[in-house]
Amino acid sequence: MMRAIFAIVILDLKRFWLDRARLIAGLIQPLLYLFVLGAGIGASVKMGGGDYRRFIFPGTMGLSLLFSATFAAITIVFDRQIGFFKAILVSPVPRSAIAFGKIIAGALQALAQGLILLPFAPLAGATLNLGQCIEMVGAMALASLTFSAIGVGFACRFNSTTVFPIVSNAVLLPMFFLSGGLYPLRAAPAWMQVAAHFDPVAYAVDLMRGSVLGVFYFPVPLSLGALALTISLVAWAAVRVFNRGEDDSGLGATNFNWRR
Amino acid sequence: MPTAPSTSEDAGTPAVEVRSLAKAYGKVEALKGIDLTVGKGEMFALLGPNGAGKTTLFSILATLRAPTAGAARVLGLDVVADRDAIRREMGIVFQEPAIEQRLSGRDNLMLMGLLYGHTLAGAKRRASEILTRLGIADSADRLAKTLSGGQRRKLELARALVTDPRILFLDEATLGLDVDARRMFWGQIRGLADEGRTVFFTTHYMEEAEVADRIALIDSGRIVALGTPAELKARVGGGVVTLRTADDERAREWLRGRGFAPEAGGQAITIVHADPAAIIPDLLRNLPVRVDRAEVHAPSLEDVFLKLTGRGLEGGGGKP
Repeated sequence: MMRAIFAIVILDLKRFWLDRARLIAGLIQPLLYLFVLGAGIGASVKMGGGDYRRFIFPGTMGLSLLFSATFAAITIVFDRQIGFFKAILVSPVPRSAIAFGKIIAGALQALAQGLILLPFAPLAGATLNLGQCIEMVGAMALASLTFSAIGVGFACRFNSTTVFPIVSNAVLLPMFFLSGGLYPLRAAPAWMQVAAHFDPVAYAVDLMRGSVLGVFYFPVPLSLGALALTISLVAWAAVRVFNRGEDDSGLGATNFNWRR
Repeated sequence: MPTAPSTSEDAGTPAVEVRSLAKAYGKVEALKGIDLTVGKGEMFALLGPNGAGKTTLFSILATLRAPTAGAARVLGLDVVADRDAIRREMGIVFQEPAIEQRLSGRDNLMLMGLLYGHTLAGAKRRASEILTRLGIADSADRLAKTLSGGQRRKLELARALVTDPRILFLDEATLGLDVDARRMFWGQIRGLADEGRTVFFTTHYMEEAEVADRIALIDSGRIVALGTPAELKARVGGGVVTLRTADDERAREWLRGRGFAPEAGGQAITIVHADPAAIIPDLLRNLPVRVDRAEVHAPSLEDVFLKLTGRGLEGGGGKP
């Protein structure tokens, strides 16, 4: 089982390396938030006791991790129709190993993206000492794992990549906007604060913000617990989908064209 | 976790055993009661037109799909209950590519080895062995997408062989290859079968089915004929006369009046007869329409299929 997970992770990282130009493209969105939106709003607003850009740095990091992890997960959608993944599906590898392999691989890809964004922190006015850096990277790793699990949880239910933009607008963006990544949750309307309690992105952003600003909205153990719970639930749900039905030439997806 | 291959079942256990197998997709019955036995080390072809149930039967045996009714055992193991055990013993080549095109052949095989529980070193060794054996070691470090169609198919076969399978499933494995590449491919498959591996394949190229030890002809979810290529052809009888005439309809009518039985379908008029050479002169002399072309040939599998179902294998001509 460990070797199978290892094989799936290696496969995905090798392919990720072939697409490494994506790492640069993936920087554009968070940098826009940080240095255009952030600079524009920051010119008239202070937040978290200082520069607005410093305040939203953890939020933009969350955004970056969320989108790169989800993007990594959608490879499942076309892989199961054609490509190596099809061979994986007819191997005796336990379905749970496939799900875990995919989640770990996606998390590593998101983390790589995040580590490239991290050096921009001082430019956004967030200078971190070594301890803060370690806390930040730890929080990023946990966030990456959570978002990757969410991404795999979604991706394994779809059999077409065209739904990805819909998911990203209907699910990912609301999760990001509710997370308090761009504003302090403490001052937000009550319904948003309530909603944030059900948003895993909010806990992830709060952990990262805490390591930069030293102030948390959620108690740290609650955040850790919430993320751990999210990972377990979503991973469990993904394994269930991978396992569903014996007709698994489509990995649970049902549109197999048997006539061909 | 992978366990040692279960070689405990006795030597008489057939490689594939299918009893009253049925599969329905909603209201559509794709398989309507299939009975089939394939011996160990046999090279077995499933031949039939598109939509006949070939892919469904193949998928059930390769544990990709569950039957609706009946039972199927592969190497003595149940395709539903012992799915993973069968998967450890089988190799499969799909119609579609199942390798990562942007990685080298060697990397693909190595990852496959890891998936099946080899160590990193073991997986590398196994990859080299297979690449050498299939004669593609030279191009093994090139990206798969840069290989020729024939080499890529060999790489698919190599991927299926990583597990050292006792049964090999091939689904239209040579689709799109030219004749030379197909011949080479089947030469290697024959070699694998001669080592005692069972090979179960689907095809709709007739000349490919000829390499099999036995063939099952499948049509509309049923097996309509089963036997060696020679046995199947013998069913057609002595030989086949094919005529192309100026007016096939009139010619058919006249033939029926003379007591011949022209087959219903096909682009030309086909007559199966015990001694075709003897009837040709009579036909040429007396047919009331102009004959453009007359051929006598030994029966092909196409003729067998035509005789049994009234339709060609390619689905062209004949009744729908």
